[in-house]
This record gives sequence, structure tokens and C-alpha cells, in this order.
Amino acid sequence: MKKGLRWKVVLVAAVVILGVIVSLPLKDKIHLGLDLKGGIHLVMQVVTDDAVNIETSQEILRLQEQLKKKDLTFTSVTNPRLDQILVQGLNPDQEGKVKDLLDDSFREWDATMGPGRATLTMQAQVSQYLRDQAVNQAVETIRNRVDQFGVSEPTIQRQGGIGGERIIVELPGVDNPDRVKNIIKTTALLEWTLVIAGPSPDEATLLSPYGGQVPEDGRVAKGDPKRRAEGYYLVKKVPTVTGKDLRVVRRSVDEWNNPAVAFSLNPDGARRFETATGENINKLMAIILDGKVQSAPVINSRIQGDGIIQGTFTIEEAEDLVLILKSGALPASIKYLEERTIGPSLGADSIKAGFLASVVALAMIVVFMIFYYRLSGVNAIVALVLNTLLIMACLAYFKANLTLPGIAGIILTIGMAVDANVLIFERIKEELALGKSVLASIATGFKRAFSAIFDSNLTTIISAVFLFQFGTGPIKGYAVTLIIGLVANMFTAVFVSRLIFDLTISGRSRQMSI
Amino acid sequence: MQLFKTPHIDFMKYKFVALAFSLAVILAGILNMTLGRGLKMGVDFRGGTLLRVVFAQPTSVSEVRQALRDINLGDASIQEIEKGGREFQIRTQLPKAEGEADRELEAHEIMANRVIEALSSEENKIDLRKGLKDLNALDENSLAFLLEPAAPEDAAAYAASIVQFRKDNGIVRDFAEVEKLGLKAEAMATLRQKTYLGSLSVLSRETVGPQVGADLRKKATMATIWALVGMLVYIALRFKIAYGVSAILTLTHDVFFCLAVYSFTSRELNLPVVAAVLTIVGYSINDTIVIFDRVRENLKVMRRSPFADILNASLNQMLGRSVITNGTVFLTVLALFLFGGQVINDFAFMMVVGAIEGTYSTIYLSCPVVLLWQKLFKTQKSPGKK
Repeated sequence: MKKGLRWKVVLVAAVVILGVIVSLPLKDKIHLGLDLKGGIHLVMQVVTDDAVNIETSQEILRLQEQLKKKDLTFTSVTNPRLDQILVQGLNPDQEGKVKDLLDDSFREWDATMGPGRATLTMQAQVSQYLRDQAVNQAVETIRNRVDQFGVSEPTIQRQGGIGGERIIVELPGVDNPDRVKNIIKTTALLEWTLVIAGPSPDEATLLSPYGGQVPEDGRVAKGDPKRRAEGYYLVKKVPTVTGKDLRVVRRSVDEWNNPAVAFSLNPDGARRFETATGENINKLMAIILDGKVQSAPVINSRIQGDGIIQGTFTIEEAEDLVLILKSGALPASIKYLEERTIGPSLGADSIKAGFLASVVALAMIVVFMIFYYRLSGVNAIVALVLNTLLIMACLAYFKANLTLPGIAGIILTIGMAVDANVLIFERIKEELALGKSVLASIATGFKRAFSAIFDSNLTTIISAVFLFQFGTGPIKGYAVTLIIGLVANMFTAVFVSRLIFDLTISGRSRQMSI
Repeated sequence: MQLFKTPHIDFMKYKFVALAFSLAVILAGILNMTLGRGLKMGVDFRGGTLLRVVFAQPTSVSEVRQALRDINLGDASIQEIEKGGREFQIRTQLPKAEGEADRELEAHEIMANRVIEALSSEENKIDLRKGLKDLNALDENSLAFLLEPAAPEDAAAYAASIVQFRKDNGIVRDFAEVEKLGLKAEAMATLRQKTYLGSLSVLSRETVGPQVGADLRKKATMATIWALVGMLVYIALRFKIAYGVSAILTLTHDVFFCLAVYSFTSRELNLPVVAAVLTIVGYSINDTIVIFDRVRENLKVMRRSPFADILNASLNQMLGRSVITNGTVFLTVLALFLFGGQVINDFAFMMVVGAIEGTYSTIYLSCPVVLLWQKLFKTQKSPGKK
């Protein structure tokens, strides 16, 4: 064997061995996309306005407190815009003091003073930070919930990198979409709030004793129809305790052995809970989840830090509620934009059919190439098989998913790999017909065909790179397999194929099988 | 073995016939897309819900439509996707309502639920009201939970085997089928008592909200345009601008031609079909470059010949290769079309159309366009940089 050839053989052998190690067994190493495996694909948007809104509301409370503490007069503090606070009815003599207060204690706001009023606007980078944090926290919370639910290999990621407000969740193999969707979506804002009046069948009846107006310190909450807590409740504006005060939650049963959720509060929460229950015996205490009343039991006695949440739960619902409460509340609400549930049998059908089609197609190519190009055809088949192996190895190595459009990319690759060999072989035939020797024909054939192979492969790679950059989901998957396949193609169709010729055909050959 | 002795076909002679034919097809397509029934956008691009369901008993499109007549489905389509009459694809679309954009995804969901409910048999509805669970919809955990009192030790295994059966067959049609899986009598009794066999099972359910639909449409278009521009630049650098322009015109033709043909079928445009169009573009550019490469070479050898002759000679020399390569590609996608299954049928159809069209466009379009461009601008016919 010539010295130059030896190195090439070693290189190809190393690539083959590496490829086999990385990609086999295919069943374990290749991750199938949801379209083939079945599962749930969710795209959701974090309503980041919520995060800004919460911040503004908290700042309004703080501002009111500070103004009162310093004995500064004002008539109202409102938020005309999401990121704006308006203080009205200021005493003109005190405007300087108010300005000092705002500059000292509200540094994240830009304050402008008008006659008798002050306007605070949240700084742009602050609101951007809040929005960004909200998405990050949402991703974390969702990851927590999905992990606890027990999904293997979930994908949870922000779409569009920094500043993106969308989250993509992919859950392979999950067969109960409604339950998962609920678990993810529940904001899990849990509150225990004293009931002022209700329940009433409708809002008008509820508010009639108050002249149809919601009282200053109250708000209206609707019963959750799923929990048989129907009707409307007038509850206190400020909750007694919230989900943040929880120490432990676990699934439990109530006195009639129905599923329920047991909780313990932290010391601070427990103290407030004890005072509130002690002062309001025989009144109702509403347990509100995401604005909907779950149950509103009568306070029979002073309750310390432990209790249960009842609400005609099924066992699953009780379990899910525990899971959600444990993973914490979402910082903002979530809106689903896209939702795809692929059942496992459909994916299995696609794999079966795709496999059959691939086998039929490959068989046809093999038969044709060997029939038409004889031994040289075998050469082409070796290159083709090696190419497919390299694609699989790269997919396995980069943990990329194989999807239906990905299979399309592989088909295009195989087509172009066959074409590369055809180009070379046809050229060799031409050279042979001109009466050149076998070795010279092979050398010229490869040399002349190379520019066409190089240009066509590179052009397609360029387009695939753009598709990868600008495309979404399925188109990206297509571009990935295509790029891998075509790079591999340059190696297998040109380098490996040539090597096989060099190894099998000696300088004395008068004929070749082509 | 040789398929052809290098033939001498005057391809350039037919350039105006080919141009007229292409224009006619594309024009018909555009007319159809703008004035006629047009290109039907699938849920990926217009939003909506796509349901794939399998029934226990064979039925027909008209029966399904009949069952759904009470629901205002908007612009819906119902297709039989398996010849046995058991698998159907139903796409629903909500009529556009102002100010409801936020809630639209949920509205789609509710609509889909109503469709499933309407398709369920009367007995199913009665069973459901009695509080029984649908064995064809229960997930594995719940199933195991249900079976636990009857078979504490085997519940998980039973649940897994039932789910596997469902995965293989799509739907459980008869309790006898479950019995054959080897469940013991107590477990079977529990199933018969607490579950019913739903008359249909949902194979897949895809809902795309309107914002995402618009987004996907925009991104797919942008990706395609950028890919075309990238190719134009590369070809213009490697060959000459005339070739780059010709290649891009050919590719644009490929895209429009295929979409035109597609618009005359009842198939809908979805993301995988866009991937198919892109694949076609890939093959076509490959084909075109191979020919251009030969032209580049022949320009050096046949210095004195007219440009049209050089193009003809190149096409003829490469004809063997074109037939073999495109023939193989055609057979591959034909296999995909015939055996590839329902899910990728639209995709495979587009590929079959494209495999034929791509070959045609290379021979009858890309070369004539270069020729016409050269004539128009009287540029030198010197070869491009190599």
C-alpha cells in the first residue's frame, strides 16, 4: 500500500468507528422529534405586563405609606398607565418635600412635578428588567412543575433569546395534555381572604346592600364552577395570608375522606391567620386560587398555622394542586399560542411508513446503481451508507431531534450523494471512451466532476444556513440534517469513493467495472 | 453499460414553447390563488385546529359532516385519510371575531372539544354522564390507578399493555381485545364496570393561535427569500451574474410552479410542505449548477461555437447523468408518496411534483434564460472564474 493511502485508510477507518460508536444502537442514541414519537408541543407567551403591574401596585402602596408617614397631603394615588403613578391633590407648599421623598426613595422612577401633582414613570431599563425576570422565573417555575410531574427529557426554552417573551415546552411521550396544560398554566396565586358578603347568585344581588358599588376595602370574587363553590363573593381586598406564607403542603383527606390539600403556614403567616380567624368566628374565609374561590368554609374556631383546603377535588386534582403550590407561583400569567398533541400511535405509524419508504427507496437505489455501474456501483453504495451513518452520528452527538422535515433533509442529501457519484462515474466513462487509461480516467473523472459537486453542495449549504438562521421549528430541523448531510457528502462521495478506487484498481488494470 | 450515446437534441429550439408553458401554468396558478379556490392554508399558517381521529367503526365523510352539522364550524374541512373509512382529518376554523384575539386559542380548544363530543356515539354520551371513563382516552397513570383495587400488583403492567395496544391499533374496539392481553378476571370486571369504549380516539390535535400563524407565515417567507439571495450571491461569484440571475429565476419559477400545481389540489399548505418546496429548490439548484459547470468547461473547449450550441452540447453531454440522478430522486420520492403514510403524504406529493418540475426547469428554463440574457446584454461569453 502506498504511504499516502495508508493515512487515508486510517482516517476513514477512524471516522467509521467513531460514527458507529456515537450512533449505535440507533434506537437509544437518536432522539425522535415529537412528530415521530408523540407528545405535546406548547408555545406560550408570558404576559409580562403582569409583572410591571404588580411592581406598580406595590409601589403605590409604599408611596401612600411614605406620604402619610411624612404628613404630606394628597388626595389620590393612581396608575393611569401600567408603568406610571400619578399623585394628585398635593399641597403646593409641600411639593419640594415630595420631590425630595421621590428622589430619595423612588430612584427607579423618573419624577416630574406639576401644579399640585406628581407623575412617576418607571425607568425603561427597570421595566425591561422586570419583564425579563418574569420570563426567566416563569421558565424556572414551569421546569419545576414539569420535573415534579415526571416527564423524561422535557425541553423548556425561551424563544428568541434575551428579550423573548415566548416559551416553548416540549414533552415527549406525555399522553394527558389537558392535565399538563393546567399544571403549567395555573398561576397558583393562592389567597386566604375574609368574606364580607355572599355567596350570591349574581353580582347585582351581592352588591345591592352597598348601593351597587364595590366598597373601598372589598373586591368581588367568583366561585370556581369546578369546585361547586358557585356564586359571587364579596371579599376583603387584602388577603389574610397568601401562597408565600406556606411552609408545607401535602395531599390529604378531609373528615369525609375526600381528597384535600393540607397546609402549614410559616410563623409570620400563622400569627396573622390566628388573629384573623379569632376575630371572625362564624364568618366565612374564602380560599382563592387565581382569582377563583375554591371553597369558603365557616370559621368555627381560632385556627393556628395548619389547615386543609377542601373543594371536591379528585385525587389527581389534589395532587396537581400540591405540585403547583410546591413549585411556587408564576410571576405573570401565561397565554397559550400554539399547542400540538401528537398521539403515540400516529407517531408510530409515521415511523413505520417512513421506514418502509426509506427501505424501498434505498433498495431501488442499490439495485439500480449496481445494475448500471456494476462494481463501481458498490463503491457508490458504500459512500452512501457511510454518509447516512455520519448524519446519524452527528444527530446523536449534537442531541438534535430527528423530525419528519429532517427526514426530507436526509432524502435530499441521499439524492445529492447519488448525484455526486453519478457525475464522477459518467465523467470517467467519457474519459474511458476517449481512450485514456483506467487510472488516468479515474483521476480526470474525479478532478473534472469535483467543481460541479463542490459548487452544488456549497450552494445548497448556503441556503440551508439561511434557513437555519431565519426558519422556525420544522424548517430548522430540515436545515440541520441538510447541512450535516452535505458536509458529509463532500467527504464520502469524493474522498472515500476515490480511496476505494485507489485501493482496488492497480496501475496495470486495463479495464474497470463501471 | 451506457444508457445513451451522447444524443444531439436541440433543446434551445423549444425555449419559447417552454417559456409559454411555464408562464401559462404560473398564471393559471396565480389566478387560482387570487380569484379561484386558491392555495389552502393549513393550521400552521392561518391558525385553527387540526384533529386526526380514528373511529371504531367505518363511516363516511358525509356522515361525519352530518354529525357536525349542529356546530357552526366556520370554514371547516373534513377528509378521509385512510381508505378503510375509519381515519379522518378535521380542520376547524373560527370565524374572525373582533377583540377576541387573546382568547382565540382557547376558543379553538372549546370548538375542538365540541367536535369530539358531537362525533361520540349516543351510548358514549350516556356512559359519560354516568361518570364512566373512556378507555380510549385514559392516560396510563389514571388507568393504573383505576385498576389498582382489582389487581394491586399487576395494575401498572396492565395499564402499560393496554396503552401499548392502543398505540399499535389506534383504538380499542371491543373488551374482548383487552381480554386477550391477559388481564385477570377481576381487572376485566373493573374495566367493564368503570370504563366504556369510546367510539373514536383522537390521534392528534394541533391548535395554532392566530398570532403564531401569522408569525410562521412571515418567518417561512423570510427564510425562503434569504436562502434565494444567498444562492444568487454565491453563483454570481462563482460563475457570472447571468448564471446567478438565471438560477434565481429558475428557482423562483420552481417555487411558483409547484405552488400553482398544489393550489389545484385539495391539499393544504403547512410547514412540512414548505420544507418540501425548499427541497425541490435544493435539487433544482443542484441540477442547474451541474449543467452550468459543464457550460463553463465547454466554453473553454468550444471557443468558436455559438453560445446556443455550447448550451445544447452541455445539456446533451449531461443528459445521461440528468436522467439517472433525477430518475433516482423521482423513484425515492415516489416510494415516499406511495408508502410513506398519511402524515407525510402532502409533503411527498409536493416532492413528486417538484422532482419532475425541477428537471424540466433546468433543461428548458435555466439555460435559455442565460442565452436570452447574453443576447440582451451582449456580454462576453467568456467562462466564469474557476
